[in-house]
Amino acid sequence: MYRYLFKRLGIMLATLFLILLLTFILMHSVEGGPFSREKKLNPRVEEALNEKYHLNDPMVKQFFDYVGGVIRFDFGPSFKYPGKTVNDFIQEGFPISAKLGMVTMGFILVSAIPLGIWAALKNGRWQDAFVMTIATLGVTIPSFVLATVLMYFFSYKLEWTPVYGLDSPVGYILPVLALGGYSMSFIARLMRSSLLEVMNQDYIRTARAKGLSESGVILKHALRNSLIPVVTILGPTIAGLLTGSFVIEKIFAIPGMGVHFVDSVAQRDYTAIMGITVFYATFLIAMILLVDLFYVVIDPRIQLDD
Amino acid sequence: MENKWQRVNVDQSLKEKIYTKNRSFASDVWYRFRHKFSALAGLVCILLMSLFAFVGPYFTEHTYDRQNLEHVNLPPFLSVQEIGGESYYVTRGMKLLHISPSGEALKSVAASADDAIGRRMAFEVDGEELILDYGQMPAVLVDSAGNTATKKTVWNATYRLGSDMLGRDIMARLMYGSRISLIVALVATVINMTIGIFYGGISGYIGGMIDMIMMRIVDIISTIPLTLYVILIMVFLESGLFSIIVALSSVYWVTMARVVRGQVFSIKQQEFVYAARTIGSSGWTILTRHLLPNVMGPILVTATMLIPSAIFMEAFLSFIGIGIAPPMASLGTMCNDSIQTLKASPYQLFFPALVICIIMFSFNYVGDGLRDALDPKLKK
Repeated sequence: MYRYLFKRLGIMLATLFLILLLTFILMHSVEGGPFSREKKLNPRVEEALNEKYHLNDPMVKQFFDYVGGVIRFDFGPSFKYPGKTVNDFIQEGFPISAKLGMVTMGFILVSAIPLGIWAALKNGRWQDAFVMTIATLGVTIPSFVLATVLMYFFSYKLEWTPVYGLDSPVGYILPVLALGGYSMSFIARLMRSSLLEVMNQDYIRTARAKGLSESGVILKHALRNSLIPVVTILGPTIAGLLTGSFVIEKIFAIPGMGVHFVDSVAQRDYTAIMGITVFYATFLIAMILLVDLFYVVIDPRIQLDD
Repeated sequence: MENKWQRVNVDQSLKEKIYTKNRSFASDVWYRFRHKFSALAGLVCILLMSLFAFVGPYFTEHTYDRQNLEHVNLPPFLSVQEIGGESYYVTRGMKLLHISPSGEALKSVAASADDAIGRRMAFEVDGEELILDYGQMPAVLVDSAGNTATKKTVWNATYRLGSDMLGRDIMARLMYGSRISLIVALVATVINMTIGIFYGGISGYIGGMIDMIMMRIVDIISTIPLTLYVILIMVFLESGLFSIIVALSSVYWVTMARVVRGQVFSIKQQEFVYAARTIGSSGWTILTRHLLPNVMGPILVTATMLIPSAIFMEAFLSFIGIGIAPPMASLGTMCNDSIQTLKASPYQLFFPALVICIIMFSFNYVGDGLRDALDPKLKK
């Protein structure tokens, strides 16, 4: 167990270092400095700015200063909004995005797993076809199309939901549906096929043969094993929710971190892009590691010391 | 019937005759593929979309970037007012747009006088005066003799699917937009396939330490969410079609590399590989002539599954404003532009949304059909 944990932590740190290096190189090789505008700055002012933000230091020193900052959770100043730091963006935006993400995750788990089970139990009948049609729709329709179409019908035509913001609980409905649609459909499909596969196993026949009731067979024997593939997909699902929120937050004008990220991309605010990317990547890798550890705990068949 | 046990003479050559038609693997796959309705429908849709995207622009006089500010936000179906034998459409900017009997949008006329208190507007058309009474909604046209206009709906003949907020033809933009989607899908997939096949093939065939290092690199790349990567690369490059393809192809090959590596790894121990080695084939020949053709099935399936995600990624990037640069049309930018006018002109959203859904559906169904056809064991 510990060996596995150390190996995973090692890969995680290597990945993070690589991401830092890559973002740093990419952002510093963009043409023009952060202060080059259409109107030429006074050379002395530019010199003073470069001095203040340590842009005259050698690249290697700048990089290690940056790494040092990241370790202390300090992503440096924003170049486009004077007086603001990247930390401010993260502190403002992340709680909102995280809340939306958690509500969506809850919605996905609560809806996808029962739908998948229902479809598997009614395999080949209309209920199955119904769930699978919804799931196919959910997997193929892009999130921003789903979001805008839902917004048109429910916010403009029927006026049931607000057009933007998360001020009321009703405001969550559309963003959550649009953000979670893909993952919900994917997990429902996965749950269905995994349960169908488990139901054909020998130990299910054994459980039936010893006289367990059908619900006992499903709840105690089939469900627990069929949930394992769903758990493995949770890491990528969290990643999908985070990156998916870029467009959803933009469409519904939710002031989360995704909007800050897209804004800083549009404005070429390089320190903000760099900082938010590194923050996202760290968060995601940590989440994926947690999910993987959880997966090892619930599935005793996995060999830890490979 | 004296001797029931008499031997019947059977022509020995008939025993060996194969009565069914001899079918190659490819024709077998095609047989299974075309017997699946959704897969065939997807294929037909893709062909039709390609025609629309690549041949369509030659049949329309509009281009993706020509603006006509007189013809802004015209819906596909115009509700015109007919008066004195002429039809007029009241634009959202409160101008009168002259519509020909066949539904073509002609010149627009600005108001000559506006009585804001009486909520009436006067227009001068060919020396005659028309009054627009906007005290009631929808506004009604009245001529100087006091006759009110009759209402009628005509199909917009100039802009069959309407025009957008800058007066550009939506149909022409859809053609160029879907062309970009299809080009991205095709080119990115071919590049990803090539990189993935050789990366995975070499890694799986050589094995050992090199395999370990190559696969650790793949592990590290795939830990980072690809969307973030692509966005970073797009920030670094100039926005445009070429950059999108570069960004997608530098990242999306990892899945392919893993699939190919796993397959090659599992078949490289088989006898035909040893046989090839015994007769002196080089490693490169074994890889390209013996191993890769045998893993073509999973490669094709993975490639068709890559296509929808490439299309989605391009639309996604264009939607958040770092993909295709304006004025070039992309389905993503069209969806994004339409949000500003969503309440009044929903058709500006629905057409690009519909096209992108059709493309995504078609490729998904073709991918599913191909998977079932190539590997019936996988079918569930």
